[in-house]
Amino acid sequence: MDPAAGSGTLWAGLRRRSANGEGGRGTRRVRVRCRRGPPGCRAPGTMEPAEAEFLAEKELVTIVPNFSLDRIHLIGGDLGPFNPGLPVEVPVWLAINLKQRQKCRLIPPEWMDVEKLEEIRDQERKEDTFTPMPSPYYMELTKLLLNYASDNIPKADEIRTLVKDTWDTRIAKLRLSADSFVKQQEAHAKLDNLTLMEINTIGTFLTQALDHMYKLRTNLQPGESAQSQDF
Amino acid sequence: MPPAARPMRYGHTEGHTEVCFDDSGSCIVTCGSDGDVRIWENLDDDDPKSINVGEKAYSCALKNGRLITAVSNNTVQIHTFPEGAPDGILTRFTTNANHVVFNSDGTKIAAGSSDFMVKVVEVTDSSKQKTFRGHDAPVLSLTFDPKDVFLASASCDGSVRVWKIADQTCVTSWLLLQKCNDVINAKSICRLGWQPGSGKLLAVPVDKVIKLYRRETWDNQFDLSDTSITQPLNVVVWSPCGRYLAAGSVDGSIVVWKVETQECIERMKHEKKYTICGLAWHPKYGQIAYTDTEGNLGLLENIGDGKKPDDKVASAVTKGYDDLFDGEDDDYLNGDMIEPQSSPKAVANEEDGGDDDDDLMPTSVHPRQTVIDDDDNSLDIGLIKANSTVLDKEDDYDDPVLPASSTQQPLYDGPMPTPKQKPFQSGSTPVHLMHRFMLWNSVGIVRCYNDEQDNAIDIEFHDTSIHHATHLPNSLSHTMADLSTEAILLACESTEELASKLHCIHFSSWDANKEWTVDMPEDEDIEAICLGQGWAACATSALLVRVFTVGGVQKEIFSIPGPVVSMAGHGDQLMIIYHRGTGFDGDQCLGVQLLELGKKKKQVLHGDPLSLTKKSYLTWVGFSAEGTPCYVDSEGIVRMLNRGLGNTWIPVCNMREHCKGKSDHYWVVGIHENPQQLRCIPCKGARFPPTLPRPAVAILSFKLPYCQVMTEKGQMEEQYWRSVVFHSHVDYLSRNGYEINENAKNQSAKEQQELLMKLFALSCKLEREFRCVEIADLMTQNVVNLAIKYASRSRRLNLAQRLSEMAVEKASELATAQEEEEEEEEDFRNHLNAGYSNSATEWSRLPVRNIQQDQEMEDAEEADAYEEAEETPEAHKQRPSLFSRGVVSREVTAPKPAVIASSSQGRVNPFKVSSNKKDQVVSSANVLDSMSKNAKKTPSSSSRVVNNQKPSVIKPLIPKPKSKQASAASFFQVRTPNSSEKIVEEKEEKVENESPVVKVAAQENTENKRPRTGFQLWLEENRANILTDNPDLNETEVIKEGMSQFRMLSSEERMVWTEKAKGGTVNDSTEAKKRKRPAAGEDEGKKNQEEKSEDLNLSKKIKPLDQSTNVRLSAFAFKQS
Repeated sequence: MDPAAGSGTLWAGLRRRSANGEGGRGTRRVRVRCRRGPPGCRAPGTMEPAEAEFLAEKELVTIVPNFSLDRIHLIGGDLGPFNPGLPVEVPVWLAINLKQRQKCRLIPPEWMDVEKLEEIRDQERKEDTFTPMPSPYYMELTKLLLNYASDNIPKADEIRTLVKDTWDTRIAKLRLSADSFVKQQEAHAKLDNLTLMEINTIGTFLTQALDHMYKLRTNLQPGESAQSQDF
Repeated sequence: MPPAARPMRYGHTEGHTEVCFDDSGSCIVTCGSDGDVRIWENLDDDDPKSINVGEKAYSCALKNGRLITAVSNNTVQIHTFPEGAPDGILTRFTTNANHVVFNSDGTKIAAGSSDFMVKVVEVTDSSKQKTFRGHDAPVLSLTFDPKDVFLASASCDGSVRVWKIADQTCVTSWLLLQKCNDVINAKSICRLGWQPGSGKLLAVPVDKVIKLYRRETWDNQFDLSDTSITQPLNVVVWSPCGRYLAAGSVDGSIVVWKVETQECIERMKHEKKYTICGLAWHPKYGQIAYTDTEGNLGLLENIGDGKKPDDKVASAVTKGYDDLFDGEDDDYLNGDMIEPQSSPKAVANEEDGGDDDDDLMPTSVHPRQTVIDDDDNSLDIGLIKANSTVLDKEDDYDDPVLPASSTQQPLYDGPMPTPKQKPFQSGSTPVHLMHRFMLWNSVGIVRCYNDEQDNAIDIEFHDTSIHHATHLPNSLSHTMADLSTEAILLACESTEELASKLHCIHFSSWDANKEWTVDMPEDEDIEAICLGQGWAACATSALLVRVFTVGGVQKEIFSIPGPVVSMAGHGDQLMIIYHRGTGFDGDQCLGVQLLELGKKKKQVLHGDPLSLTKKSYLTWVGFSAEGTPCYVDSEGIVRMLNRGLGNTWIPVCNMREHCKGKSDHYWVVGIHENPQQLRCIPCKGARFPPTLPRPAVAILSFKLPYCQVMTEKGQMEEQYWRSVVFHSHVDYLSRNGYEINENAKNQSAKEQQELLMKLFALSCKLEREFRCVEIADLMTQNVVNLAIKYASRSRRLNLAQRLSEMAVEKASELATAQEEEEEEEEDFRNHLNAGYSNSATEWSRLPVRNIQQDQEMEDAEEADAYEEAEETPEAHKQRPSLFSRGVVSREVTAPKPAVIASSSQGRVNPFKVSSNKKDQVVSSANVLDSMSKNAKKTPSSSSRVVNNQKPSVIKPLIPKPKSKQASAASFFQVRTPNSSEKIVEEKEEKVENESPVVKVAAQENTENKRPRTGFQLWLEENRANILTDNPDLNETEVIKEGMSQFRMLSSEERMVWTEKAKGGTVNDSTEAKKRKRPAAGEDEGKKNQEEKSEDLNLSKKIKPLDQSTNVRLSAFAFKQS
């Protein structure tokens, strides 16, 4: 196949999806960038979960394509070549796109395995601090891959439960530590091994809450405090 | 002789297991905690017969076609053997029985239960029971006195009791064992053993020793022990002849003693150190079957094989010939039950062992062996046949002679024949599996499911654009499959009522009938099938190969010289591998035929012997994706047909080198030559993958087994020859009228020439001039030229001389259309990337550039070329020569085609990152790049050779304006050792400032850009004058003239020129030219600029060389002297 034509069709495919309004992942990066909107409408340094997910989509996964395509050259780097039946590493967004079009079979990441996840969950429950996760985007990847390629992942339901358990444990820990942080009126805390998604679930709320508490504690003038109530 | 321990195999789920042989020894019977009794024909039996006897089977015993089991519903029951039909319940306990045993004649059984009771029951009449009470804890094990007078039992209460069966009284009792409350807590299950035959001794395993008690007196006769035993012994078992005793311990060691001498003759260790819980001697041979608590079954062979002369045996043998030869015949009669692969091997082992003994003790004669052998030989066949009629009397075997296996062998010391390997389909897993791959090739996967619910075939294509996945019912129970992009081919062997069938699903057919079936004639079974392009073939048991069209028309039919092993098809090629004869000592003796079934039918390989690794067999046969025959043997060696060397086979990969574990293997699914990929599935601890979980394909690289690949030389040699071998298919394909990818071909040629050049440089460095010439002999014309340059530059004039002689020779060989030189040159210029041709203009071009700038500035050059063309139109007609500016002018024709070529190659994808930034650094890559492009033209190069050679001759004449070095530089190249590494993307101006530092990128491309000497500048200025003075001078002469004039200048004047050359050269050269360029020419310049940027892309796309090699190479390539 002529390489240029090949990549052309692929791109056309990507565009078509988004035109259909199905949320084509290829053009997604553009969409997300736009959605960020004017600066200042959100607390600085925070992201939406969708943005964390967007970042996770850059992670590489292995797929087995069922089509043949020469190397494609994209802005983020070269991908391929795709040989039918031969495993190849691609970003998650492409993997999902291909999977949706039934153009590939996904090979789950090594850690996406019931035994390993059980071990991780147990470890997480056992320790008071956060344990390192197998992937910095474990939650996002689990969600994405299980949503779109659950037929290629053995014991998908168990994996979903296990990851959710781990997540819940970690979030509980996070809440607990935030609670003690506030209670003890600490000024500084350090949390290791948190993933981006986890930081974002609590980051916005915690910082805003701390702001408010700061305002309350420092006896702000009535005018300003009234203003803060408007929020 | 060491006992041969065969690898253990899975028998039951983990838990207590027991094992016994049937009366004739033809099969092994095991029971396990999964409640199954399995009947194994031998250890390799992959499909043992299973009889479910209950939820859990605690113990089993077998005699006279009755199988007694103690199961978890607290009963002891009978099954018929080997049918496995239930035949009633013998007795019941209140809890389960732990051990059941037969007496010697099989009329009674004894069972000991966890309810402390021992019962003896008549097998034929279960109402006749005798109960033995007295133990205070669960009974562990039992054994009958062979004379049926006594019964011994061991119990968890720590006692071993001997009972008199007749009156159910306890004769004696020893407190030997550790007390415990239940069987599972017992340290040892304490399987007792009563010596067969006379019943003189009772063996009791007590901790780490075996205590032997004498009958009647019941005193401890002696103990057997061994230093290798570190854990309590679990099981004791006597050999059927009563002279050997084997014991298994809880840590998995098995020890065999010769009782008479109390010496330990064998020590074996369980491979995983699991507890041995079942031991059984083969009723005739020196084999011990054993099981462990993890449910594995193992077999020790050649136990108790006579190491010492033994008259007793001899006499016993003479006495019992009947037994002996019955046994022998029996074995052969049962031969069909034993897989040929295993039994002859065992025989071979025994033979080997015998030989070893001979070797070890050359002087000591084996009286036993000789005696018996003589007897054997003297016996006539009639006698043996007569004796064999006694076969039915199985009871005769109660006192068989143990080391029978060796004594029975007829004397034959030669190599033993290897069982022929069975026919197979490449890329399939064994037929007996319920879920198996029928095929995995580069087109797709065919899976077969054969279980209770379903008998079906699943076909899946790697590339779904070929065909969608298909599911077929497998009503004919097909066992063979092949898959191509046109069709699916299936075949089954004949059954009693149905003939062997070939079934083809021709899915690419354009009519509605996609399927056809062909029945084979009666008694002809299909053994191997394959598909090619437009044809299908099958090899049958009648030694025939039948060829069909893919639509089902019968075509050629021909005989093959031996039973087929496997077949493979690709395009028009059909490869058949068959048994050429009988292999010996584990080797297979295979032959290969390769036919071309295309328009001109011919045989390429006429049944040549197939080279296999020693003691290996064939595991995969096929073609690479490009159509080169390949095969893989069981030792993991991949071999490929080397068409370049008279169709020999070359090993291209040793897959075992890639394996981590010893028992790991790779299962080949495809071979690709371009790119070089060996696609296979890693199998942990197995030879083939399971269907689930779905295995993933891995890629291995090829490596020819060249010597010293750790050294740079060896590495490059390996790479070179690998490249040659893996591109020989191009020649083959083009010869056979296939369309081939010119690009790939050129790429490979380039790669090979690059490697040669590197090798050349390496040999040069090592002062191996002879080797240099040898290497140069492999090069193409143009690379030889480069080599000559290299040699002369590194001051190896002798070498350069020889090389140029060689080049001339080569050229004369190729000298054909000399007169077409001009056109041809134009022609090849089209392919050129303006690299080499520039070099011809070396005097006229600018100095101090690196590769990057090279590209940027080439537009300027070309613009110059236009100018020059206008200025010196006569140059067009001039013969192209090294020093002529006219050469530049010829370039006028060049740029466009070159650009076209580049843009057709270059992608117009804005996101395409230029393949490798490193490339800019890797200057020599560019050199070689342009070089190999030149490699395509031939005759013209010879003229250039001569031209290029000239400077080395003129050299001494050159005046030395600066130094010797500079003069050399003026003719060849300035050599700065580090230049090529330093090259970076710098702006033109910057480099100009640095120009005195003289940066030179590459030998070739930059030839013309190296700093000019004062002389050059002067010549440039004065060339016109010289030309007008002597209009008929050619370029060389112009220079000579120029030189003499330059020498006549005063030293001050010369200094001025030299200074100029040092300082402002670049400025005035490029800038001046640019200034000179008329405004109209600027458009062209821009255009060229664009074109050049394309060029740039192109050059960047070049495959990066190994960085370190490059750096090293360039380091010495530019080293002075």
